[in-house]
Amino acid sequence: MYYPEPISKLVDSFTKLPGIGPKTAVRLAFFVLNMKEEDVLDFAKSLVNAKRELTHCSICGHITDQDPCSICQDDTRDETTICVVQDPKDVIAMEKMKDYRGKYHVLHGAISPMDGIGPEDINVPTLISRLKDENVQELILATNPNIEGEATAMYISRLVKPAGIKTTRIAHGLPVGGDLEYADEVTLSKALEGRREL
Amino acid sequence: MHINELSLKNYRNYESLDLTFDHKVNVIIGENAQGKTNIMESIYVLALTKSHRTSKDKELIKWDESYAKIKGSVVKRNRQFPLELIFSNKGKKAKLNHIEQQRLSDYIGALNVVMFAPEDLNLVKGSPQERRRFIDMEIGQIQPIYVYHLGQFQKILKQRNALLKDYQRKQQMDRTMLRVMTEQIIEHAATIIHRRFKFLQLLRKWAQPIHLGISRHLEKLEITYDASIEVSENMELSKIVEVYQKQFEDMETKEIERGTSLIGPHRDDLVFHLNGKEVQTYGSQGQQRTTALSLKLAEIELIYSEVGEYPILLLDDVLSELDDHRQSHLLNTIQGKVQTFVSTTSVDGIEHDTLKKAEIFHVHQGAVSKEG
Repeated sequence: MYYPEPISKLVDSFTKLPGIGPKTAVRLAFFVLNMKEEDVLDFAKSLVNAKRELTHCSICGHITDQDPCSICQDDTRDETTICVVQDPKDVIAMEKMKDYRGKYHVLHGAISPMDGIGPEDINVPTLISRLKDENVQELILATNPNIEGEATAMYISRLVKPAGIKTTRIAHGLPVGGDLEYADEVTLSKALEGRREL
Repeated sequence: MHINELSLKNYRNYESLDLTFDHKVNVIIGENAQGKTNIMESIYVLALTKSHRTSKDKELIKWDESYAKIKGSVVKRNRQFPLELIFSNKGKKAKLNHIEQQRLSDYIGALNVVMFAPEDLNLVKGSPQERRRFIDMEIGQIQPIYVYHLGQFQKILKQRNALLKDYQRKQQMDRTMLRVMTEQIIEHAATIIHRRFKFLQLLRKWAQPIHLGISRHLEKLEITYDASIEVSENMELSKIVEVYQKQFEDMETKEIERGTSLIGPHRDDLVFHLNGKEVQTYGSQGQQRTTALSLKLAEIELIYSEVGEYPILLLDDVLSELDDHRQSHLLNTIQGKVQTFVSTTSVDGIEHDTLKKAEIFHVHQGAVSKEG
């Protein structure tokens, strides 16, 4: 490369991030050179701390700096309901809504035999043991509405059915505030399937 | 409908090409390996986003270039709108009316084409895969949602086969997971088969009289669907789902043993009979070709009846493959109503009014000139 070693190393590090190609990496690297030293140190510290201090909650699998996580420790939350999601980001999205007062379980992925990911490779076994130990009455399956997410939701519901726990699947269909005429046929037919009586 | 402008950029052997077309018949003349078929193919790709010659989109991009672009201006129901397709190493972008379509199923169907190429003469005697491709492409053009079901089906099939292979290798299994995937696959498999049945009824309705006409009232064409499960064409969707459930249950052990999915629309086929005799095995080469021609001509009428406008017909190097009688039958059918592109090495020997009134293009080493 034409860059001095420290810069090319920094560029290489940036390219490891998702969504960042070689051009953006170079731009970011040169931007860092012009940053104030304390800002750079801060930045580096946050990077390291995020990695070192964050772990996965031993109960629900959500990312946290204390184990168990603040949601699992919160006694005011309804522990009879668990919402199952694929990703920690999904928990954040649900929390932003502020309407859900139950607990979570983060799977960290979805079942995909093609990629060699079976139920044991994601957080399904911990979910099952939670269901055995805790007094759970409803399981809300909020995995993504694609093939893998759907298969994962169906699979969990089959496992849980015999235990008599109520399992529900989040609805999919039209986005709120959207226009019917702009919806694609597939979404529309799903919305029609999931219609309810008023 | 017709297409009145076509522009290619870095497409196959064309660096840049802009053409305007007559809305009736356009004949593209040139020696072999000059780029006739590439023009025909580009119109086909513009309509269906896939080539009939290759499954690798990369091959459409000119050698050493990073992208290929096809643009066309389509006139449909007296309205003109642009279509644009861009292929690059990142995939393809499809724009309808300048707006990028996230789902190809929202794009396919804007322009309808029927292609008749030398390969299609093998439709009858070729592999089942070719016949499935034929039926899938045709349904996709008139019912875009079919493309969605087909795509979902293929994805689930891959997942399910990976799972079965895994069971076979490890000799241990989790039947719950398999049954979940079976349930998923049935939803789409049943819809696909159900829509194929509906399509076949239409195809038959149009193909039979056409075939009688070409064969001078000597041959009665029958088309049947050869399914990997026991279903009949008049079954309701819910009934087909039931049959699939039952058959997948019966096959479960065998599927695990073999490590792959053994039933589904990807194992089905079409069978053609003439006067009760199976054409694939017992028909002469002429009968096989006539059957293929009847199917293609039926498609034109079928699309007209479903879409309300005639599709564009692409005749790639096939006129010379047909005898006089079949040639004139073909040209009579399209006369004056279907925009047609004909590629050929020469028009000598084809004496037909339709061709005399045609617009002629000469192709030589990737350069195109209009006659007159």
